[in-house]
Order: sequence, then structure tokens, then C-alpha cells
Amino acid sequence: MAKESKELGDRGENAACEYLAKKGFRVVERNFRSQQGEVDLIAYDGSVLVFIEVKNYSFRSFGSPLGAVRKSKRQSIIHAAQTYLMKKNIRGVNCRFDVVSFNTGTDGSVAIEHIKDAFGVN
Amino acid sequence: MPSVLIKLRSSALHGLDGLQVEVEVDSIRGLPGQSIVGLPDAAVRESRDRVKFAITNSGFEFPAGYFTINLAPGNIRKEGPLYDLPIAVGMLLSSGQIKAENLHQTIILGELSLNGEVRPINGVLPICLSARDAGIKRALVANDNADEAALVSDLEVIPVKDLLEAAEYLNGDRTILPHAVDLKSIFDAGQEFDLDFADVKGQQHAKRALMIAAAGSHNILMIGPPGSGKTMLAKRLPGIMPPLSMEEALAVTKLYSVTGLLSGKAALITRRPFRSPHHTTSDIGIIGGGRLPRPGEVSLAHHGILFLDEFPEFEREVLEVLRQPLEDGKVTVSRALATFTYPAEFMLVAAMNPCPCGNYMDPVKNCLCPPHKLQRYWSKLSRPLLDRIDIQIEVPRLKNEELIKQPSGELSLVIRERVIAARERQTARLKGSSAHSNARMTPKQTREFCRLDEEAEALLKTAILHLKLSGRSYDRILKVARTIADLEGSEIISSAHVAEATQYRSLDAKGGDYNV
Repeated sequence: MAKESKELGDRGENAACEYLAKKGFRVVERNFRSQQGEVDLIAYDGSVLVFIEVKNYSFRSFGSPLGAVRKSKRQSIIHAAQTYLMKKNIRGVNCRFDVVSFNTGTDGSVAIEHIKDAFGVN
Repeated sequence: MPSVLIKLRSSALHGLDGLQVEVEVDSIRGLPGQSIVGLPDAAVRESRDRVKFAITNSGFEFPAGYFTINLAPGNIRKEGPLYDLPIAVGMLLSSGQIKAENLHQTIILGELSLNGEVRPINGVLPICLSARDAGIKRALVANDNADEAALVSDLEVIPVKDLLEAAEYLNGDRTILPHAVDLKSIFDAGQEFDLDFADVKGQQHAKRALMIAAAGSHNILMIGPPGSGKTMLAKRLPGIMPPLSMEEALAVTKLYSVTGLLSGKAALITRRPFRSPHHTTSDIGIIGGGRLPRPGEVSLAHHGILFLDEFPEFEREVLEVLRQPLEDGKVTVSRALATFTYPAEFMLVAAMNPCPCGNYMDPVKNCLCPPHKLQRYWSKLSRPLLDRIDIQIEVPRLKNEELIKQPSGELSLVIRERVIAARERQTARLKGSSAHSNARMTPKQTREFCRLDEEAEALLKTAILHLKLSGRSYDRILKVARTIADLEGSEIISSAHVAEATQYRSLDAKGGDYNV
């Protein structure tokens, strides 16, 4: 079970990388972890550093992927982002938090939803 | 693009004044977020969320970076949603999405809805008046606030529908003509009244007393059984009161503006207010209060009528707090956060039954109240309070033949003419003092202006001996006599005037009957 969901997650991240590359994003980091947090993808959208949470759904018919990124999850992403900026000594760069979701329908079709600037640090 | 520190002008309401507030917006690059500092209350902090949606829904890009919004000076509390518009404009200016210069003489006020619409705020009139006095030349306000703001002379009022329109205006891409109102036409409108004195059957005595009360702005108490027409009479009082002067109208409008009671109505209040709070209203509701004190009913009745029906049914505390405003024409409300003084020059009109069951001293029906109940009923009204009510009359039950007859009597318009003439005499006499009416004369003015002829003086002396009047009642009789003489166009107060005025102290004369 754990292995299956890991695979599903990896597949989603691969698909997200592909999608973002097409959009002109430059992915610099995958699965970045800090002590109290993690973020799926880190990429540059032009000069803006974007922290991306990837969501996978099958047969989901309603609701927004943002609804699945709850406060604790957001805190975890924010913590990871802060750690990343500190470790890489990045200053004076505008950042953003995005959510990318893949929604697989019953017929196997995939709908991609990309929410830019999904949340802020407060 | 480099971010620049943006400074915009806005305002904070402080009682009935607007204080100048500077909205500073600056950002640094980094994780996205916003913080608002400068003692904001919950409504101001929430503006973060409204601003975000208003900006994106108006077709702008929500600027990246961490924003700090400072509302200066930092030592006064900022309340309400009026900073939404300046904050949004500040963020757009800071991120270079709009460009504007010379905004240091422009005040920006408005709440934003999520779709970017600019919504009206409370207190625009006092804010704009203070801003104009502080040297502000232009005000950017919501469409729905434009009429009210335009009441202020020498201030260019720019009404905006939404954030986009405001941005286009500031960018210079859109011209918006300054909003102007025709003060005179607003002022002349709203002088029609649906209720007329001629609708009330009988009660000639009460009608005359009310005319005198209106002419001198005297407080009046009507005592009478249920159904005798006390409430009907009181409701028709505004129709015989003299119209508000422009100065008075602005003072009243300011009070209604800060309490948020203006919306939906005309920008300027042109009729004398008529407030009739229910007898369960608390003392705070009557006098004003709250964490940051708001005006109460006595202030909302400023330059108008405070009608207290079922007078003794009010809590004792409520009745006693009326004493200060009745005497001084203003109330000072102190709370931990602020102390505000609100004007409260109202005319008190009180109505009551003679006893809890309503039939005491009725020639036809029998009173069923046990004596202790009657005593408790009347003990609610303290001597010092009753002393401050210049005219106390009885409004008896209508006789059967009066009930059947069609209502008759003078039209309100006719009575009003007489009241206005009497007021004009008073205004001329009291010119240059703070008093506007006979009821508000100082003791010194009373001595100076209430000259009695010999006969009148003798009559008053006898009355004092017989009725055991207090010093305050004596003054009140003089003032009412002055008004009666004014109604007749007489400068000298004659014995007839004093006799009538004395007759209106029915509780002094008959107090014993009522267990007072």
C-alpha cells in the first residue's frame, strides 16, 4: 500500500515536471525536505522562485485541490521553503506558492489544474 | 522592478472628528505575505483578504513579495474597513501597476468588495470636514458616499465605482468630474410631513402646550389614560418644529454619519430627528457607549425630539442619566480606550399613564391599582428629573361626543408658521450666545430677558408661595412664559403669560394627588 502510493506520487511529480517544463518553468529541486516540512517541487518561473505542491486524484468530481492543502500542509511547505532559502543563501528573490493537481477521470483522461499564488505565509 | 515606499493619505474616525492617517506601503522580495501594523482592529486586519481578491478580480496581478502596510500614527486605534481602498491602491502603486504622483493632498477612503467594487463607509462627512481643514484638496470615495462628501465645500470629491476605475483615474487614463450637490435643493426637499395635527381629535389644551414646547424647545411630559392621543400628538411634533438651519443639519448629519445610520437615506438630514427608543433600552443605548464610545439616543435626537413613551417603564438608571444632557446639552462618555463628548441638545417629550392600569383619576373608569403599586410607579420619576421638564400637562380621555366628531383644529403648517415666528424672536434676542431657544437660556439670560410687568410679578410670587416651587421650577416658569409671550409677539411678559406657564406645572400643583 505504502509502495503503491509512493509510486503514484512519483508518477504525479514526473507528470508535473513535464507540465511545468512546457510552461517554461525551470525545475531546480524535487522532494525537498526540512526538519518539519517538505515541498514537492521547486522551480523558477522567470525570476520568481516557485514552491509547488503536487496533488493526484482519481475519479474526483468536485472540490478544489486547494481544499486538500490544509493549514498544517501549508505550514509544512512554508517551513521547507524558508529552510531552502536559508540553505541556498537566496535573498532578494520574489517567491510564490503554487498547487498543481492531476485529476484522472474514469475514462483515463487527465485534467491538469494549476493554481498560482495559492497562499501566502499568513 | 524595484519597489518603492508609497505614502497615501486616509483618515481615522475619532468621536466626531477625523484624524489624518498616513497609509505606508512597502515590500521586500521573499516569501509572499502581508502584514498590517499601526493598531489595526479585526476589520482592518481582514482587509488583507479583501484586498487580495479585489486586486486579482479587477484584472491586476497580485504583487509578489512580502508587504508591510503601516497605518501611521501608530498610537491611535484604526477601526473599520475604510483602509481597503488606500491599501489596494498602495500595493498597485508599489508594484508599478499604476502610476500617479502628487497624492499628498488626496484622501482615499473606501471598503472593497471581493469583486473590486468600492463600498461606502461610515463617517465620511466628519472625515472630509477634518481633512479639508487639514489642507486636503481632493477625496477619492465610493459612489454611494459622494453626495455626503460633496457637502463639504472647497473639497474636490472624486466618486469611484470600483478599484479599476480608481486605478484608471489615478493613472490619468480616465477623467472623473468632481461630484457636486445642490445643497439648496437637498435642503428644501423633505420638508413635507405626512402626519398633521388636524388629524388629532380634541385635545386643544395639549395641542397648545405642544406648540409652546416646540416654539421654545421646552421639555414636555404628557400624562393621560391609554387612547387619549399622547403618542399621536408626539408623532406630529416634527411637523410643527422650525426647520433645521444648515449648521444644525450638518451637526445632525455628522452624528448619523458616524453611527452608520445615513446609508440609503439622503446625504444630508434636513428634518429634525425624532427618536423614540423602546422602554427596555439600556442606559448605554440612551447615553452612548461601547468599547470606543458611540453616540446614543440622546445624541441621535440632537436638535430634534427624544420621545420616551411609557416614561416610568424605563429603568431608573436610564431616567437618571438623562439629567446631565438635559442640563448641558451634551454628554461625555469615558471608556478605557477613549473619551468622547457628543452633542445632545434635544427636546424631551415624555408620555405616561397616570398609573399602571391607566385609569387613575379617570372620571368614568375605576383605577384598580393598589396604592403601593401606584407609589412605586411614580417614584421612578425623581424630583430633579421632573424639575427639568418645563411643561407638564394632562391629556384627558376624550369625551364621547368628541370621539364621534370628525377631527378638527388647525393644520400643522399654520401652527408651524407661528412657531417659526416665535423662534425668530428668540434667535434675534439670543444672538451671539450659545443658546438657540428660550429653554436653553442661562440663568443670567433668564434674568435679563424675562422681564415681568408688576401684575405678573405679583402673580408669580403668589404661585411660588402656594405651590412651594423650587428655584429650578421658578426659572422654568419664567422661560415658558417668555415663549408664550414670544408666540404673541410681545416683548413684555404679562400676568396672562405667567398664569398659563404656571398652569403647565401640573405636577407641582397636583403632585400630591399623584403620590409624587
